[in-house]
Amino acid sequence: MLFRILKNSFLKRPKAVFLVFLSIAMGAAVATAFLGIAGEVSHKMALELRSYGANILLEPSAVEGGGFLREEDLPKIKTVFWKYNITGFTPYLFGIAEFSAGGKKERGVVSGTWFARQLEVPGEDPSVQGIKGIAPWWEVEGRWPEAADESIVGAALAKRLNVVPGGDVTTTVRGRTQQLRIVGVVTTGGYEEEQLFAPLVTVQSLLQQQGKISRVLVSALTVPMDDFGKKDPATMSKDEYEKWYCTAYVTSVAKNVEEVMAGSRAKPIWQIASAEGALLKKLNSVMLLLTVLALGASATAVSTSLMASMAERSPEIALMKAVGADRLQISAIFVGETLIISVAGGIVGYLLGDQLAGIISRTVFNSPISSPLWLFPTAIISAFAVAIAGSVAPLRRALLIEPVRVLKG
Amino acid sequence: MVSAIIETSGLTRNYGDICALKPIDLIVPEGEWLSVMGHSGSGKSTLMNLVGGLDRPSNGSLRVGGEDLLALSEDGLARFRREFVGIIFQQHHLVPYLTAVENVMLAQYFHSVPDEAEARSALERVGLGHRLKNRPGELSGGEQQRVCIARAIINSPKLLLGDEPTGNLDHKSTVMVMELLKELRAEERFTVIMVTHNQEVAAWGDRTIYLDDGVLVREERMKS
Ligand SMILES: Nc1ncnc2c1ncn2[C@@H]1O[C@H](COP(=O)(O)OP(=O)(O)O)[C@@H](O)[C@H]1O
Ligand SMILES: [Mg+2]
Repeated sequence: MLFRILKNSFLKRPKAVFLVFLSIAMGAAVATAFLGIAGEVSHKMALELRSYGANILLEPSAVEGGGFLREEDLPKIKTVFWKYNITGFTPYLFGIAEFSAGGKKERGVVSGTWFARQLEVPGEDPSVQGIKGIAPWWEVEGRWPEAADESIVGAALAKRLNVVPGGDVTTTVRGRTQQLRIVGVVTTGGYEEEQLFAPLVTVQSLLQQQGKISRVLVSALTVPMDDFGKKDPATMSKDEYEKWYCTAYVTSVAKNVEEVMAGSRAKPIWQIASAEGALLKKLNSVMLLLTVLALGASATAVSTSLMASMAERSPEIALMKAVGADRLQISAIFVGETLIISVAGGIVGYLLGDQLAGIISRTVFNSPISSPLWLFPTAIISAFAVAIAGSVAPLRRALLIEPVRVLKG
Repeated sequence: MVSAIIETSGLTRNYGDICALKPIDLIVPEGEWLSVMGHSGSGKSTLMNLVGGLDRPSNGSLRVGGEDLLALSEDGLARFRREFVGIIFQQHHLVPYLTAVENVMLAQYFHSVPDEAEARSALERVGLGHRLKNRPGELSGGEQQRVCIARAIINSPKLLLGDEPTGNLDHKSTVMVMELLKELRAEERFTVIMVTHNQEVAAWGDRTIYLDDGVLVREERMKS
């Protein structure tokens, strides 16, 4: 019977029902979209932010300058405990050189590095490491070096030497000379624009430092620092240390990498790491706040449309009361109606929200999104919450209707 | 000696300053058909609503079917209405989006469990066996009032209240409705209280009371 009442009541007032349905569906859609991308966003934002710089710097631990790290240790970075959190790394070897091109001469920094180096580590998936991976914001006019005698030159230096892609720069260090073909001019917005970048091996032989590197920049996914993460590991108990080691703080990942690079000291690059954590936290709270606001708005819309239809329905409610319906029976009809609408609204809202999340993810992050399993129940529960919150005031009004006043002849 | 189904003493109902019902003492024996007459605004509906548990008195005592209505909660009054009373209004108050048979089943639903066969036979009893699936808008005034009668009697009430049930009907429909009520009462033996403006309709009862400005001024017993 309840079903018959509800069915006929729906058919009688399609507009009012549709309005409530729409409010609930929109609320559920926004909740689905926001919550769906919130998790994904944290992950993707972390990746995006990561690409704006490495967050761990490895340097020789020798306090007196002039120390080096060993290139042969680099593959071990792919085998550490936190290897899956390490998204990329690149070695550098710096030296001062004399550049000359077309009659112009200048002293400057020559930097040997990996651009996009295929790395095979036994027992691990092959990967590509180098500047291209950890500094994707570098803009190269021309192309990246491929051969040993190819190089890219910073935009500022290129301007002073008056070289363009296709030109040559002669690089001299302590009498040793290397002819380098310029294949690209790089703009980074930073100090890199003053340097010349050539393959690591080339610079090693130019500087007579075979197998040596002066620093490694590592890019790792880390969790935001909290009070525990800031503690000095040296003062920790064994259990605390274990917990610290097994949490992806930038410090514990740094420690991890330091262990495999002989003679190295790892320094987290703090500003970036902590700014990231704070930004992500803020972003997530903003998303949550927006979700709550959207749900509040649709509950208000539900409440308003139910209130509006209450005026029209008061004779019907008064009549039901007159023939003996108690408060529970009246509530059952009302709550039943809104719950049915909210299931439908929740399903449609979920489907819409999932699409919306996909569109947002594709436009903002250029990648599709995989909606987590919990999203569907979350959408339905949001719809229920909206329906129930939106029903409170109208239901109160319905229960206060006095049949004698309404049915007066 | 027949026991009283309704007993009031000093029953009063005020609406702010307006005294719609001055203290009224009334006893209605079980099985009686009581007609209530009076000018518009004399308090007839007020009295009906109090007796039917739709409204609460301002003062006095009110016992219906052994139940002290003043002691009942809101839900208690609702239970009293569905179990004890059948009400027919002047404007045939039916749920517009439900069919005739569903309107009758609605009363069953609030009372206990809907039983479509029983609801159908109630409509057949009031001569609407051919109008079961029609909605109120598709029925004439007399037909709608008969649906209300079927709904009022479906839960076998002890007390049937009619607030000018024939007020909107033409003579032919009025006679038809009254005949029907008389027949049903003969079978079901419920007590009837019927508010009317029509002397002829009042004459169907055993006794008529007259209200004037909230006061019971006169009563008249019909010769049988
Ligand atoms: N809800 C109400 N609020 C204020 N006054 C009311 C209300 N209901 C009835 N009255 C007043 O009480 C008096 C009796 O009304 P009522 O019982 O409806 O009269 P009748 O049914 O005899 O025409 C009238 O003066 C009417 O205006
Ligand atoms: Mg009246």
